[in-house]
Amino acid sequence: MITLSGIRNAIWCGVAFGIVACAATPMPSDKLAVAKSSVDRAEQAQAGQFAQGELTSARNKLAAAQAAADKHDADVAARMADQAQVDAQLAEFTARAKQQEQLAAQMDASLDDLRHEAQRNSATAAPQSPPPQ
Amino acid sequence: MKRTLPGYLAIAASAALFIGCQTAPKDEGIIVEARDAVSRAESDPDISKYAPTELTRARQFLTNAEGAAKSKGARSPDAAQYAYLATQTARVAAQRAHEQVAMAHIKAGETERQKILVSARENETQRAQADAQQARAESQNARAETQSAQAQAAQAQAEAQRLAAQLENVQATQTDRGMVLTLGGDVLFDSGRASLKPGAQRSIEQIASFLEEHPDRRVQIEGFTDDQGTDDYNLELSQKRADAVAMAIIQRGIEAQRVQATGYGEQYPKASNNSAGSRQLNRRVEIVVGKDNQAIPARQPPVAP
Repeated sequence: MITLSGIRNAIWCGVAFGIVACAATPMPSDKLAVAKSSVDRAEQAQAGQFAQGELTSARNKLAAAQAAADKHDADVAARMADQAQVDAQLAEFTARAKQQEQLAAQMDASLDDLRHEAQRNSATAAPQSPPPQ
Repeated sequence: MKRTLPGYLAIAASAALFIGCQTAPKDEGIIVEARDAVSRAESDPDISKYAPTELTRARQFLTNAEGAAKSKGARSPDAAQYAYLATQTARVAAQRAHEQVAMAHIKAGETERQKILVSARENETQRAQADAQQARAESQNARAETQSAQAQAAQAQAEAQRLAAQLENVQATQTDRGMVLTLGGDVLFDSGRASLKPGAQRSIEQIASFLEEHPDRRVQIEGFTDDQGTDDYNLELSQKRADAVAMAIIQRGIEAQRVQATGYGEQYPKASNNSAGSRQLNRRVEIVVGKDNQAIPARQPPVAP
């Protein structure tokens, strides 16, 4: 016989189950947000130009993480988000390193020019030997 | 073809072994790769210096990967995930170190640039100072030379004037060619003769001793006559008289190359030749005393009347 209290109990059971189910698979929205901002930072660091491969990998993994989150696959979403984040970081620092290395090479070249010029100036002005009689 | 049961088992076993060999290193491989990446990063002093945080994180991921491999198996998703994160983080550390090394290089380059510029500027200043000093020294030298030349000229004039004062019957004139001492012909020679009178010896003596005291000076002896007689005769007579004076000086020990003698005859008269007095002025010997150790310039040709 189905009593009122039995129905109430059943409802409570259902609510409790739902809560548990929701708690068991929370979507890693914080990880996704971190991965997204890492990709943004890499793009700002001109990774598109200096670290194309790493940036593409980060974007693909971020998309995969988003897709997994949409399918409520929290584990895969979290893993992909972490990978996307570290790939984006690698893209960012690779791009930054390459740009600084370019600047360093330019600095070396301009220093060479400067040294030559200084040397030439002191070489043309220094010797003041008397002209032959 | 009919297979026996042991035959199927053998095929199955070799297949399992084959798959095992192929897959096991792949799963182990990602951990080995992570271990390599982390230990490479650890052995790079630039990474320890510039990216210690990333290096620590990479180590932590590697520890997690090895823990997961032990507890859940090398093929477990956790082991693979942590191994991947360890490898990538080690790479991030390396790139961060590259960036910092390049930045330090740029900073050192900036310092070097400043050093070169400063030293170039210092060289420039030193050179300018040296130039200015040299210019000052040169102008001082030039001034000193001018002063010494003036002093020399003044001294020469003073000496020649002293000589002129010592000589009797001598008229001294300062000219561009030097001091000109004019000795009257009648004092030195008898009329028509080219041998010195005994009274002339004193004047000759004084000129010779002047030249002895001033071994750098030269003299030019020039003989002149009045217009009495032929030009040729007068020219010859004036030359002989100049030669006689020169010879007398040379005989007193003066080097011959310091003494030149020229006869000009009737040329370059001092006066008109219209009276006995003016003719006496024209009969003369002029001794040009050089201003310095240079040869005495020749007389300009007489201006056409």
